Amino acid sequence: MIGQVSYPEPIEAAIAQLESWWQSLGERYLFSNYSLSPRSLALLLLQKDPGLWQILEQDPEQCRHLEVLITVTQNQLKQSIGLAIAHTRQSQAQAIEQAVLHETKQARSSLAEKLHRLTVNPITGFPILVVILYYGVYKFVGEFGAGELVDRIETVFEEQINPVVNHITAQVVPWQPIQDLIGNDYGIITLGIRYATAIVLPVVATYFLMFSLLEDSGYLPRLSLMLDRLFKSVGLSGRAVIPIVLGFGCDTMATIVTRTLETKRERLIATFLLSLAIPCAAQWGVILGLLAQKPAALMFWGGFISAIFLVVGYLTARFLPGSSGRFYMELPPLRLPNLRNVVVKTWVRMKWYFLEILPLFIWASVLIWVGRLTGLFDLIIRAIEPLTFALGMPKQAAPIFLYGFFRRDYGAAGLFDLQQQGSLTGNQLVVAAIVLTLFLPCIAQLQMLIKERGAKTTWLIVLFIFPFAFLMGYLVNLGLTFFGVNF
Amino acid sequence: MDCHQCKSKSQSCGTQSWKLPFFRNNQPSFSKEVPASPPIALVGMPNVGKSVLFHALTGIYVTVSNYPGTTVEVSRGLMQIASQTMTVVDTPGMYSLMPITEEEKVARDLLLIEPVTAVIHVVDAKNLGRMLPLTFQLIEAGLPVVLAVNMMDEAHRWGLDVQQDALEKELGIPVVCMAAALKQGIDELKQRIVPFLPIQPAMIPA
Repeated sequence: MIGQVSYPEPIEAAIAQLESWWQSLGERYLFSNYSLSPRSLALLLLQKDPGLWQILEQDPEQCRHLEVLITVTQNQLKQSIGLAIAHTRQSQAQAIEQAVLHETKQARSSLAEKLHRLTVNPITGFPILVVILYYGVYKFVGEFGAGELVDRIETVFEEQINPVVNHITAQVVPWQPIQDLIGNDYGIITLGIRYATAIVLPVVATYFLMFSLLEDSGYLPRLSLMLDRLFKSVGLSGRAVIPIVLGFGCDTMATIVTRTLETKRERLIATFLLSLAIPCAAQWGVILGLLAQKPAALMFWGGFISAIFLVVGYLTARFLPGSSGRFYMELPPLRLPNLRNVVVKTWVRMKWYFLEILPLFIWASVLIWVGRLTGLFDLIIRAIEPLTFALGMPKQAAPIFLYGFFRRDYGAAGLFDLQQQGSLTGNQLVVAAIVLTLFLPCIAQLQMLIKERGAKTTWLIVLFIFPFAFLMGYLVNLGLTFFGVNF
Repeated sequence: MDCHQCKSKSQSCGTQSWKLPFFRNNQPSFSKEVPASPPIALVGMPNVGKSVLFHALTGIYVTVSNYPGTTVEVSRGLMQIASQTMTVVDTPGMYSLMPITEEEKVARDLLLIEPVTAVIHVVDAKNLGRMLPLTFQLIEAGLPVVLAVNMMDEAHRWGLDVQQDALEKELGIPVVCMAAALKQGIDELKQRIVPFLPIQPAMIPA
């Protein structure tokens, strides 16, 4: 029959036997609610498909029967059943391909091939990565997005929107607390909406644009290939590069994508490292903006976080039983990104992100308002203050850690605000940036963690990360003071 | 092929409006009732353009990515075909009917248990030989398969051409050559699905 692959004789015999046997089973046929044909089921069972075998185990007699059949079939073949089936399919596929595919010209671009080699080879690949990070991330996202754009939109808020809002609320509402809810230092418009639109939006927009460009060019899978060995040392395979790199965009999204990893162990390590050491776009854009004037501080922060990533990953890999996953991934061709696709994608992600965070930022403003009004907020801040002092921070930094608890990027944005006022030293910025990076994941990611890994694992992760982040901040501050380093 | 229902609303199904409906709940102007017939499923390896095709068919934007693993959840959308409203499901990429990763299992289980009106197997024209084994498995399974040979534009640039008729004869199933990203071949694909639909239209426009 056309389209049907015929397998080596022993396999065909086994299929025929299974098919006729199932017909005689009647009620005992276990796969009646499956829409696959008996032939297909027979082939999957002969290859020991785990899911289907689980169903077969309901009837030990059928299990035994099939095991005997597999052994008999296997003895008649020179290679394993699975391999024989795969080979038959492949050779038929190749034959068809040859019959229907025509080479019109010998035009396979050798430039793409050369570029591919350059990106995959570590000797040239790492410099390429550094160049991409420098121009794409540092220059474009850090200086243009978090610098230029943020400055401009902030100016609009500070000079035009905030005074007007404060003025109007002062005129319309006579009661101070309501004025504070909408305007003044922590109001919904003057703080919540300003953070979302003036600080986070430009950073996320430039970042997502950059990321979409890289994504559509086919560079990311090549990065996976190059980083495979490095990732093996932290118990992951090159496959995990994608969720980790995605985490630099949004850890929540990346946590979902860990589903593509092969083993439970790998998924656990990846989500743990994501929540610990990978800052999301909004957060690290802001941190980049904070530290951009002090390149040495930026390098220190980057080096420290990378070291944490590697050391903690290595230890987790040693500590958790099991071995690293294998690595196999499709490599799409390197191509010039389609500009329209890139723009649409960036737009959709921005919109999704913005709509996601805007209500949260507004809620944060409301919570802060309630907290301040009831005095609860002052209580918590006073409780955090010793911690802040231990980190070598001024008193004003305490609220930032509290905000950071609501959302990491919110905390980072608060830090940005403080830095703009010039009230933090280089060392303090570095320590705060480190603590906020390592800090608890944002609320959205926390929800995703619970959904993907379960409440128990999430609790363990959170209980580790919280003290760990502060401990690291404390140690860094101690170290910097001890060695007399001043950024 | 134009679908007459949407024409009257100044919007044809083939070329979706520029105002993209980003969220699932604000569906385009399709009839609101949920289609009774089983869905049309899009399957294939990662990176063959399933999400792009899904977008072209339903008008719902799904992030289009150039590496495996970003379409993790199964997306569902509605499409208008031969004046019927059909559900289309976009599945995560899979290499064979035997799953390795969790996302592949999602796609497999969907095919295993849910009845489908048709399965569109999307393949990359440049890597036809590597992708056909899954086609065989789908045919073996007795599923109503249509083969969508995608990325013909890139194949042409590589100096490759696929002979649609010959492939159709070899496989014994409908084959459509297309470039979903350029909206080429979408209408032909729809036309080749029509025979699988539960209710045959009285007259199929040529």
